Amino acid sequence: MVTYNLKKIQLVPGAKDLIDIVLSKTQRKTPTVIHRHYAIARIRQFYMRKVKFAQQTFHDKLAQILEDFPQVDEIHPFYADLLNVLYDRDHYKLALGQVSKAKSLIDNLSKEYLRLLKYGDSLYRCKMLKRAAVGRMCTIVKRLASAFSYLEQVRQHMARLPSIDPHMRCLIIAGYPNVGKSSFMNLITRANVDVQPYPFTTKSLYVGHMDYKYLRWQVIDTPGILDKPLEERNTIEMQSITALAHLRAAVLFFLDPSEHCGYSWEQQMALLYSLEPLFVDKPVIVVCNKTDLSWSNAQRVEEELNALLDNQQEKKGTVSELETNNNKKQQRLTICGWRKMSTLEKTGVIQVRNAACDWLLSQRVESKVRGPRAQSILNRLHVAIPAGVDQNQQEAGELSLCRPFIPESVWKKRQATTTNTAFHTEEEMEREEEDENKQPKQSNVVVLEKDREMAHGGAGVYSSDWNKQYWMRDESWKYDIMPEIIQGHNIMDFVDADIDERLAALEEEEVAREAMMNVDNDEEEQQEGEQALDQETQQRLQRIREKKALLIRGRSKSRNPIGANKMTKAHPKRSEDWKQQWKELGMDESFLQSTTQQIISNRSQSREAKSHSPAPRSSSRSTSTYRWNQTKADAGKGFLNHQQKQKAMRLARKAIRGISKKDRRKGEADRTIYNENPKHLLAGKRKLGKTQRR
Amino acid sequence: MAVRCQFESSSEVGVFAKLTSGYCLVSVGSSENFYSVFEGELAEHIPVIHATVGGGCRCIGRLAVGNRRGLLLPNSTTDQELLHIRNSLPDSVVVQRCEERLNALGNCIVTNDYFALVHPDLDRETEELVADVLGVTVFRQAIAGEALVGSYCCLTNQGGLVHPLTSIEDQDELSTLIRVPLVAGTINRGSEVIGAGLVANDWSAFCGLDTTSTELSVVESIFRLRDIEPVSFMDQAKASLIENLA
Repeated sequence: MVTYNLKKIQLVPGAKDLIDIVLSKTQRKTPTVIHRHYAIARIRQFYMRKVKFAQQTFHDKLAQILEDFPQVDEIHPFYADLLNVLYDRDHYKLALGQVSKAKSLIDNLSKEYLRLLKYGDSLYRCKMLKRAAVGRMCTIVKRLASAFSYLEQVRQHMARLPSIDPHMRCLIIAGYPNVGKSSFMNLITRANVDVQPYPFTTKSLYVGHMDYKYLRWQVIDTPGILDKPLEERNTIEMQSITALAHLRAAVLFFLDPSEHCGYSWEQQMALLYSLEPLFVDKPVIVVCNKTDLSWSNAQRVEEELNALLDNQQEKKGTVSELETNNNKKQQRLTICGWRKMSTLEKTGVIQVRNAACDWLLSQRVESKVRGPRAQSILNRLHVAIPAGVDQNQQEAGELSLCRPFIPESVWKKRQATTTNTAFHTEEEMEREEEDENKQPKQSNVVVLEKDREMAHGGAGVYSSDWNKQYWMRDESWKYDIMPEIIQGHNIMDFVDADIDERLAALEEEEVAREAMMNVDNDEEEQQEGEQALDQETQQRLQRIREKKALLIRGRSKSRNPIGANKMTKAHPKRSEDWKQQWKELGMDESFLQSTTQQIISNRSQSREAKSHSPAPRSSSRSTSTYRWNQTKADAGKGFLNHQQKQKAMRLARKAIRGISKKDRRKGEADRTIYNENPKHLLAGKRKLGKTQRR
Repeated sequence: MAVRCQFESSSEVGVFAKLTSGYCLVSVGSSENFYSVFEGELAEHIPVIHATVGGGCRCIGRLAVGNRRGLLLPNSTTDQELLHIRNSLPDSVVVQRCEERLNALGNCIVTNDYFALVHPDLDRETEELVADVLGVTVFRQAIAGEALVGSYCCLTNQGGLVHPLTSIEDQDELSTLIRVPLVAGTINRGSEVIGAGLVANDWSAFCGLDTTSTELSVVESIFRLRDIEPVSFMDQAKASLIENLA
């Protein structure tokens, strides 16, 4: 939709003012100092800049005017016609044409003078060229003086035009002067149009707005129209005609059957008939105003208007009959209906308004339903009702199968408000007011947080009390401070509301379990007794365990780095040893006599000569309790178990392998000087500084 | 009656408040004006409390989801905030923090006291939590192709308003699923994010200041805030709606 910002057109300066504006701006915004002895290119550039700047400023100002004023050919026909009626279309177009022409003239002129300036050979000539250029621009603008003053007047008038949206739902109030159009307007909108008891009080279009059926409606009050040929109508009447002709609206045609407006009933009806061409495709409602006054011709009025209504019905039925009728003009006129009303007594006003709105709405909706957009909004006119709702429930208005939860207090409040706002007669109201005056009602005004805020320093100062509404078992707990973190612990991690109960339950369970365990244990022991090993097997088992422990102990010693090679000799390697060992363990040594014996003896023979002699000494040492204690890992010394300690020592050994004993004392964290004689400090010529620092 | 209001010149009131039939959470603004709108309407019926979620974040309506029975808060809720909400709400309301990747629960879940629609990608655990804490039957559903059901829908036990592009078939299907009447509509002068522009419970509603009178009437009829019921309202206002929308 196009919107016209007729109110935002910038002021059009007078021709002289515009020249002053541009010249002073050129002076202010371009360099001002130039000397003869400057390079000629610089001088030329200096003056070219001035010419160009002046041209650009003129261009901008004129373009602004052209842009602001609406083009008659491009705006809505209603506004185009209104401009024609009010400001004379030709004059308006001429003025804008002049401005546009001046703009292009100035552009061309500057182009020409810039070309000339390129050939300026001295400061004086350049200056003269610039003077001529700017002077000619000013002359062109000076010729626009009359156009400017006209446009300024138009601008001022346009800003005061009512902002009518030609596409909006609209009611147009038309009729003879002084029939009560403006009074009606004042009754249904808040436009506050001037109402006086003489004709032609309203001299231009007025617009007001009202709400009906969730929609916003535009009401246009038009100046009164007299019944005369179109050519003879004056500007005031033509505004009404323009509105009637171009706005797609409901027309409320006002008649005054009492003839107090100064025009006879026949004259008024004649106007209605003569305006017929403007009523095509518009709902027309004839409104007979001033029922408060006596109508001498009441019966005739009704007859004539009913005849008009019948016309419409007939027209709908057959068109051919219409042609045969003598009074074609009268026949062609169709009205939606007619109403009686009195703006003085305010009777029938709302009925008239509603009827007009309904007719217009139905007409607009009818055309819209046929349009393409109607399909896309059909889903928004649909109420989806759940499948389980039956007809009876629907009729009762119970569409939801979910039972709502509405507190008792809400129902009470609703009842209270409905009884309060129920219709009172005026007498009752007065009585109530008197009562109130006598004894002020108990104020049940609730103090809101907002009021408290206002009372305590306003927004930004007041901080509301969040703890006030806490639901606590004990009221005094409300303001207890609950710290977030105590000694580095987030206390919410430790909060357990039902810890006591759970502990009790746990203890109970434990007791029960223990009781169960005792019963189980007894049974198990009995079972074990039954399945006990015999004496000999038990002894054997015992020996195996002891030996195992001894072996583990010995092995751990052998891993000790100190004297390691000696320790290994303690292992029994010979077949006799193996036999002895097996014997000790209580196993059958004959097993070793078989194939394995050969292998073992072969292997031991090859090593016998080398390793035989030192073995006894080392074995005696390996049993030293001192060493044993040293290698044993105990908790709290940095190792989990013996294996871990062993591994750590092995890694430590590996780390120092290949490093001389002297260097082993140095760790990676110790200070190291990698290069004690750096070349950059010691070599070359010395200019500044010493050997140590440069 | 539906009330028009504004939170610090923003009409998205559903972002800054969470309204259920059992309680109302209102976020903290620079002044108490927004809070007092709710306080004035509701304080005599249900607790209206100030609340923040996720370290002072004000968009409580988009982060939290709840109904009369319970309240689910996102995992960004701090312990202090949880404690404050717990203390302010009656014991009948279960307050639970929920470890969910889609932590704007208000955008992903819409619920009344009986049924909930949830984002199709929500965790299984969260779905179970919704069912347990809020005591509702949960459906994974999208509305008008939008997975963020909480943003594009407002639901009470009386009715629901859904995204304006929901087709008639979808509306019927949804309404049969959650057993309340539904209407497709807009709020805040044509905004389709219903959840952000409107909060409602069984007897009151609050919508943004930009809401037109037509939109307001639709809200009042579908949520049964006045005597008029939605079907007859739609019949009455059909012409106005076509005129307004087409």
